Amino acid sequence: MDITLAILVTVVGASTPILIAALGELVVERSGVLNLGVEGMMLIGAIAGFVVQFHTGNPYLALLCGALAGTAASLIFGFLTLSLSANQTATGLALTIFGTGFSALAGSSYSARPITLMQPLFPAELATHSIARVVFGYSFPVYFSFFMVAATWYFLHRTRSGLILRAVGENDQSAHSIGYSVIGVRYLAVMFGGAMAGIAGACFPLLLTPQWAERMTAGRGWIAVALVVFASWKPLRLLAGAYLFGLVMTMELYAKAGGGPLSIIPSELWAALPYLATIAVLVLISIRRDATTNAPACLGKPFLPSN
Amino acid sequence: MMQFRLEKRREPSQLMVYATPVAAVLLTMVVGAIIFSLIGYNGVGAVREIFLTPLTNAYKWQDLGIKAAPLIIIGVGLSIAYRANVWNIGAEGQYVMGGLAATGVALATYGMTGWWILPLMLIAGVLGGVAYAAIPALLKTRLNVNEILTSLMLTYASVQLIYYLIRAPWKDPMGMGFPQTRLFSEAARLPTIIPGTIVHLGVPIAILVGLVAWFVMTRTIFGYRMRVVGAAPHAARYGGFSQNKTIWMAMLVSGGLAGLAGMLEVAGPFQRMVPGFPTNYGFTAIIVAFLGRLNPLGVIFAGIVLAITFVGGEVAQTTIGLPNAATGIFQAMMLFFLLAGDILINYRLRRVVPQTSAGAA
Repeated sequence: MDITLAILVTVVGASTPILIAALGELVVERSGVLNLGVEGMMLIGAIAGFVVQFHTGNPYLALLCGALAGTAASLIFGFLTLSLSANQTATGLALTIFGTGFSALAGSSYSARPITLMQPLFPAELATHSIARVVFGYSFPVYFSFFMVAATWYFLHRTRSGLILRAVGENDQSAHSIGYSVIGVRYLAVMFGGAMAGIAGACFPLLLTPQWAERMTAGRGWIAVALVVFASWKPLRLLAGAYLFGLVMTMELYAKAGGGPLSIIPSELWAALPYLATIAVLVLISIRRDATTNAPACLGKPFLPSN
Repeated sequence: MMQFRLEKRREPSQLMVYATPVAAVLLTMVVGAIIFSLIGYNGVGAVREIFLTPLTNAYKWQDLGIKAAPLIIIGVGLSIAYRANVWNIGAEGQYVMGGLAATGVALATYGMTGWWILPLMLIAGVLGGVAYAAIPALLKTRLNVNEILTSLMLTYASVQLIYYLIRAPWKDPMGMGFPQTRLFSEAARLPTIIPGTIVHLGVPIAILVGLVAWFVMTRTIFGYRMRVVGAAPHAARYGGFSQNKTIWMAMLVSGGLAGLAGMLEVAGPFQRMVPGFPTNYGFTAIIVAFLGRLNPLGVIFAGIVLAITFVGGEVAQTTIGLPNAATGIFQAMMLFFLLAGDILINYRLRRVVPQTSAGAA
């Protein structure tokens, strides 16, 4: 029972950052913008969170600064693609290259200097029982991610603002002609995506490995982008997808720890598994139905008002 | 208050097409100097060391050549793909697979001599890249799976394949436990073309690739097809160009060239497969392709510019203690400024005088 419990807790830890980042990207894409800079924004959030945690020891401040750093990074993307109509694919790639370089530069003097991991949100007495630990044993970002799944769903499907955002993503010209600010809505969505990616990035040093390592997000930002496709732009399906990936990544950890039936397979294959699984999932999705039918109609297209 | 307004040009400005990359590099130097000064480095020194020292110091020219070669070769392939609107961003993985395939040949022919070994490695390298690019091409054409995500995921997987091969089946028996293959035999190493330097055969090959690609893109049906499918997909379909066939060609050409670059690197500068073989050339070549305006001749120049920043980054690391990561920031800034400047190709910046009456507008 103990091992099952430990695995479950690890899965939750591995899934949470992907889920948070993917939720942000989902909202961005629903507004009709494709931001491929998630990995870069996550790395910027990760170094911001790490540095703040290192100097203040306040993980909530670290998460907040991760969010702010991610938002700032997303504004570079927003300015180029929304105000200057630059190519979204290329700008997103540029943002990832920038985030990789920026975080490596900012973190260059922090390598091999540990921080303390974020403590569980609830007092330890609540989580002494094993079942209770499954419910109460996590730190704040885990509960935040669940809350955000519900909140994002509610926002998109039950509020007027969510309707406007979806309208902007489905038909920007119509939304513009009835008087909504397409660019304004998209800026807000992009900033939200940046904040979520920043928080997700900060989760890496705060929840998973309490030190700074270059490229520590290791492609998880890209998996988050893939998950949005997997979830066919629906928040609740993101939850399932993120946990599936958390499980795959956890198997890698256990295989590497040695022993057991998992270690027969080379550890390198386990390490490659999340990426191969992403491809497999994308393939399965498209076999099941046309993957693009649910995509927001204006996804990736720059908006140029036809006056 | 002065206000500016963007006004659509009647036709895209050819001047701006060529001026924006130059402006992007210059702006990067100016803004880079300011930003790096603000965060406490010698900003002007950083820009001088990164952008100028590699050019003024003749001793660095050979470094420029061997760094530019893979960037140009991969960049040419990517520019062809991007022209056709095929977003292969997994060139790094295709480069790795090209290097691994060539390594396989080098190890299989270990100790042998013969002129045929290097050509065989070259074919293997190209095929390695082609095979790896075929996966996203297949998934894109058959199942409409996004090629950006698949080609990128495959890159992460290819790096693990290196680790596996050099830790287990291909491990150097004399390597004292280091995870690397044995040093290739003489016949599997790329010859240098200028005696007494490190400039290897890959450098003229890169120039040749650029020139051939330029000819193909501007003077053949293949190039026309790539450009039309990318610029006007509807017209292309009307004209009988199959979109799927174009995707295949774009992916395989860009993958094959990335594989070629991988072969040249492993047989040239590396001469064995090591964990550090993924050098990010595949990602940097994305910047090269854009800075070169997706034009093979432009890519040759852009490859040299990016090579300058790599070589200069190393200089700045030793002379003024600038962390290596700074190079990546300068490179990303170049791409940002280029993409931002692109708006001036289709729009003109006009000053708006606020007092003007509505009738004048």
